Amino acid sequence: MITIEHAGCIYCVGCSSVCPVNAIEAVGTRMKHYPERCIDCGLCAKVCPANVITLHKGVKDRSQLKGAGK
Amino acid sequence: MKYDHDVIVIGGGPSGSTFARYAAGAGMDVLVIDKRKEIGVPVRCGEGLGAREVLAQGLELPKRCISTEIYGARVVAPNGKEIVWKDKQTTGWVLERKMFDKWLCELAVDKGAKVHTYTRATELVREDGKITGVKLSHGGREPYEVRAPLVVSAEGMESFMARAAGFRTVHALYDVDTCYQYEMKPYDHQNLIELYFGNKLAPRGYVWIFPKSDRKANVGIGIGGNHVNGKKGANGLDGADPKALLESFIASHPQLKDSSTLIDFGGVISVGAPMDEFVKDSFMVIGTAAKQVDPIHGGGMAIAMETAALAAKVAIDAHKKKDFSRNSLLPYESEWKGTLGKKMAKRLLLRKVIEKLDDDDLNHIFGAITQQDLNDTMDGKFAGPVAKVVAGRPQLLKVLGALVPGARTL
Repeated sequence: MITIEHAGCIYCVGCSSVCPVNAIEAVGTRMKHYPERCIDCGLCAKVCPANVITLHKGVKDRSQLKGAGK
Repeated sequence: MKYDHDVIVIGGGPSGSTFARYAAGAGMDVLVIDKRKEIGVPVRCGEGLGAREVLAQGLELPKRCISTEIYGARVVAPNGKEIVWKDKQTTGWVLERKMFDKWLCELAVDKGAKVHTYTRATELVREDGKITGVKLSHGGREPYEVRAPLVVSAEGMESFMARAAGFRTVHALYDVDTCYQYEMKPYDHQNLIELYFGNKLAPRGYVWIFPKSDRKANVGIGIGGNHVNGKKGANGLDGADPKALLESFIASHPQLKDSSTLIDFGGVISVGAPMDEFVKDSFMVIGTAAKQVDPIHGGGMAIAMETAALAAKVAIDAHKKKDFSRNSLLPYESEWKGTLGKKMAKRLLLRKVIEKLDDDDLNHIFGAITQQDLNDTMDGKFAGPVAKVVAGRPQLLKVLGALVPGARTL
């Protein structure tokens, strides 16, 4: 799965335009991630112009992350 | 079947608003929804627009939409050699984009279109497999159904409903540019668009300075989405980092290094081919959502407005015939491919050729060509400029030959 540092996000939706599985979507004025759909390809992180997306390969659940992201 | 509207347009940017203006003007009942709280905000754009496109639609830009007028351009090679041209007449504007988008949207309202902001399309409504409307949610509240015989996706880069309708909207990293831009002040300019090229400066892209009013400028960079120049996120994944490159450009720029930043913008732009198809039964995709973006400069507004006018013309005909089948909507797609599509294909070819050039090649090219050659190249007339360049650097024929049919056999 990925985590997004929302504070630095400029809400450009670039991540969702390259996501092959619809796992990121703009909801209101915030990018929402759906970990259950995520295939860990990392394309969103590679393209993010604001550099706020971190890929956690193999992690399926937020609870497995220690304080990373929000 | 009972419908609430004749057409639902998803997205109130330049393409959606222009479509709505024409469709409502012809008497159609149009609903435009936009997920943002305010039309035109946030801006994610260089804000440049050519004069031709606006005049072609008989529009007169109000003063509030214009930040400054453009009188030419200055293009700079990696070695600093420049080509400058200035015109007596305005060739275009740098807009106040949020005012511009709102104005275009208001024109649609003036023609009778209904617009709802902060309203998101959550899913398509289908009956017997046929699209008959969309589910909408206002401000995240419980979705409700709105029905129309035609749905138009003008969703921009995040084309979720077009995806849901079965279009291939996802972008490959190779076919996007990732961009970062600051609005900066002070910057004393001469109302010229400035473009800086170089593979170190901006791999597969360029740095731009678009002048704005009151000693301001949009200073931005776009680089290939598949480019690797930075570590991303906490785990150090390799990726493209346009911001780092933009900051090093600014740090070495005599004027900008001491200037302030007033706005941070960023974005990812489609610079690949348009989608293969734009229509299905009861569904049209227009503008950036259909990847109809100029592959050279990443500009989408001009194409979007022209496309929207064409799509609306076809939709109005379909409305008169009460037939929104794919066949009935298809003239939009075929006419687009025969006109705008041909221009765009040439620009894509040019982009793919330019990205093969190294800095020495670029320096040579800038030394060999004139302003007129540059204009010809942008108009798709490649033969003259290519001949000049190849005369002094024959090895470039291998790359540039792709632009001139038959050149490889010379």
